[in-house]
Amino acid sequence: MSDNSTSKDKYFWHNPLAVWDTKGRKGKVESIPVPDPATAWDNHKQYKIKTYKLGRLKHYHIWANHGERTWKRIRWWPTRRNLLNIRGKYNRKTLIAEKKIMDRRPIYWVLCLFILAIAPFLFPESMQNSLLTAGAVFGIFAAINVCWTLVLGTASIFSLASYAIVGVAAFITSWLSIQYGLPWWYLPIVGTAIGFAFGGIIALPAMRLDGFYYALLTLGLNELCRVYFTTSKQFGSASGGLYGASTYINPDWAPYTQSLVSYYGAFALLIASLFLFRFTNGKRLGRILKMAPEKREAFAEACGVDYRQARIRIFLITSAALGFIGGFYAAHYRGVAFSIFSFDTVLLGLAMLAIGGIGKAEGAILGTLVVVFLDKILIEIGPIRHLMIGTIMFGAVLFLNNGFFGIKQQFNAWRDKKRGEWRSARTEKGGEALPEEATEIDDKDRLYMKRFDKVQRDYLKTLITPQIMEEHRAQPLGQHSEALERVLLYFRRAEMDDKYALHRDGPTGHYKLIAFSGNRGVSPRVVDDKEYDDVDEAYHAVFVRRVHDLMES
Amino acid sequence: MDITFILINALVVACIYGLVAVAVSITWSSLGLINLGYGFVFSFGGYGAYVVSKNLIDHPIAVALAGILFGALGGIIICALVFIPLHDKKNFTTRGMIATLAISLVGSQALLMYFGPRAKSLPELFGFWQVRLGNIVLTSDKIGIVVCSIAMLSVVIFWMQGSRRGLEIRAMMMNPHAASIVGIGIRSTGFYVMALTGAMAGLAAVLLSQTYFISPFSGLTPLIKGVSIALCGGLGSVRGAVIAAIILGITEAATSRLLGGQYVLITQFLVIISILIVRPRGIAGLLDKGREQ
Repeated sequence: MSDNSTSKDKYFWHNPLAVWDTKGRKGKVESIPVPDPATAWDNHKQYKIKTYKLGRLKHYHIWANHGERTWKRIRWWPTRRNLLNIRGKYNRKTLIAEKKIMDRRPIYWVLCLFILAIAPFLFPESMQNSLLTAGAVFGIFAAINVCWTLVLGTASIFSLASYAIVGVAAFITSWLSIQYGLPWWYLPIVGTAIGFAFGGIIALPAMRLDGFYYALLTLGLNELCRVYFTTSKQFGSASGGLYGASTYINPDWAPYTQSLVSYYGAFALLIASLFLFRFTNGKRLGRILKMAPEKREAFAEACGVDYRQARIRIFLITSAALGFIGGFYAAHYRGVAFSIFSFDTVLLGLAMLAIGGIGKAEGAILGTLVVVFLDKILIEIGPIRHLMIGTIMFGAVLFLNNGFFGIKQQFNAWRDKKRGEWRSARTEKGGEALPEEATEIDDKDRLYMKRFDKVQRDYLKTLITPQIMEEHRAQPLGQHSEALERVLLYFRRAEMDDKYALHRDGPTGHYKLIAFSGNRGVSPRVVDDKEYDDVDEAYHAVFVRRVHDLMES
Repeated sequence: MDITFILINALVVACIYGLVAVAVSITWSSLGLINLGYGFVFSFGGYGAYVVSKNLIDHPIAVALAGILFGALGGIIICALVFIPLHDKKNFTTRGMIATLAISLVGSQALLMYFGPRAKSLPELFGFWQVRLGNIVLTSDKIGIVVCSIAMLSVVIFWMQGSRRGLEIRAMMMNPHAASIVGIGIRSTGFYVMALTGAMAGLAAVLLSQTYFISPFSGLTPLIKGVSIALCGGLGSVRGAVIAAIILGITEAATSRLLGGQYVLITQFLVIISILIVRPRGIAGLLDKGREQ
């Protein structure tokens, strides 16, 4: 800029008409160099705040593709379902055909389950026994939590009685096994029936009660089961539990084989529960209920969705599955302890779901992994581990909308919010239309005109200097320097409403400044009561006023 | 003799559980928070009273006041940790409930680690005397418990009816959104409500310690009973909670007389479930319009 100002002093404009008629006119006036208007546009398009590079890093592999190969896919025989959701597309820059995996979750599932499947062979020798035991606990609890997720997430029934169903089934099957010598493979089957029946009883109030009323009721039901089974004579009130049921783990095997069999038994149970989740949540029942989320039931009902029946069905299916898990539990541990009914078990279960995220199978499994790791493997650090679990659960609930697997969604929502804030921070309102205004204006040319006008005015403001004011005062009409000419051209092009003009009272009267109304038939208004004798003086007054308006805008 | 004895016991226990029930009820209806942390507040109040009676003075009134104050403090802690950060967030009801459960887990474990697993007992607050009405003997602790809890409930009800803060809390119960529009601070009211209900839980802890011991997990049974009573009476209704406490007390007395003690919870839950099936929002709850949250 300093460069400009020094050159301003040296810059003169020579009037080309001075050769013919220079009477009263100057042949040479002091003027300013005119910058390129494109610089105003460049300035306008630059961000005033710090900006970052657009787009995102590619953090996944893009597979090469060919038009023909797009539809050659691996399918689940005999359906036409794909193994992976793959889309063929063309790179927008290079136009090279690419294949993109739209949903990579199946890959992660397979990888994680594979790691779980080979985990016993990766455990360090010294901790093998405790890790295998913890792994079995993890499998069973993860299976229970996956089923619970079906109730909480898919059916939106806030039931806290899942462990109670497992416990009741486990106790009754253990008792049957001890009393009548049921073999171990009967226990899950009998447990299924018990779970179904018990689920049917506690589903009755669920038909009438809403979410949290039901949660409080089931909390009480849990306590009821605990007190009943603890105090009853048949279920062994003295020994802290009921033990002696038949088991699938042969006591004659080597201890390592026993641990291994129990680990893989629990793992198989987890896989089965995941299949149940997939075929309930992902099929008809789950899809019906996706249409009827909490507080939008009325709409779903109006569309003909019987959401109550669907919820109760899922509840019953899950109860039967939980009963199966209860029978398996009895066959796994040769019985069951009263601690399955304790408030702490429900709390830990809820902690598992809250950490991972309610409503997602992966959330249930991750939460179970975290809590079982803290609870069963770090057993030597004592009661502080419950404190840690509680703190993690509290933190997860406090900072995350929906547990660990809700982080992505929450982060995206936060980023969108921040993007909006940043955009509004760098948007200047100077005659331009804001995006929300722009949708209201039908003629999109006007939008561009507004933008153009703003940049034009910004540019012309840089041209207004004492030199060109003086030049105009000396010679309002005729040829001018480039700077003044650009300003005058802009003024002449202005819209008719509030455009300044001169009014003369008769052929010899004074000149007065008026402004057009812009509407046909509506007379112009008088701007001020100042009168001018000379027309050039009046022209200059109009110019000054327009410059004033320009600088104010 | 037998039935009156059981009835009086039921009445005494119902008074204590009624305090917790009214606390749960007020919190839910005014703040929309299902506070399952009252178990912790209960134990916290009890341990506070124990520490005061052990180290400072064991005058009955001072001990009871300590219980009330520590209970209120526990309520304020829960409010500051759960209600203030979460009340305007997504899924507040679910997250609030899970957060109070987490607090109760952490708090109980902390109490367990600090005081150890052995149960503590408070001094006798009401002395040793008894009143004979005909052939009924009323011991001092029973009369004291009933009188204290009724006095506390009356104070709370009069305060809610007559004071400016009570008016604010009642306005929050009716319509929290409109209350915030007319200038009632949701957060400040949250602190009043939680301090008040915490104080009730603290008093309940001191009163129950006349019969049972104080332990880190002693708050669980009162919490579950209180929640059941509040649920049965209709969340948000003090009158309904009182009626439900009486009904459940009578059920308990009748069951233990006719069937035996181990069936008490079963019959109670059958009663609760049947009441809730007929009236899903409880005895005195608003049937058609639940709290929108």
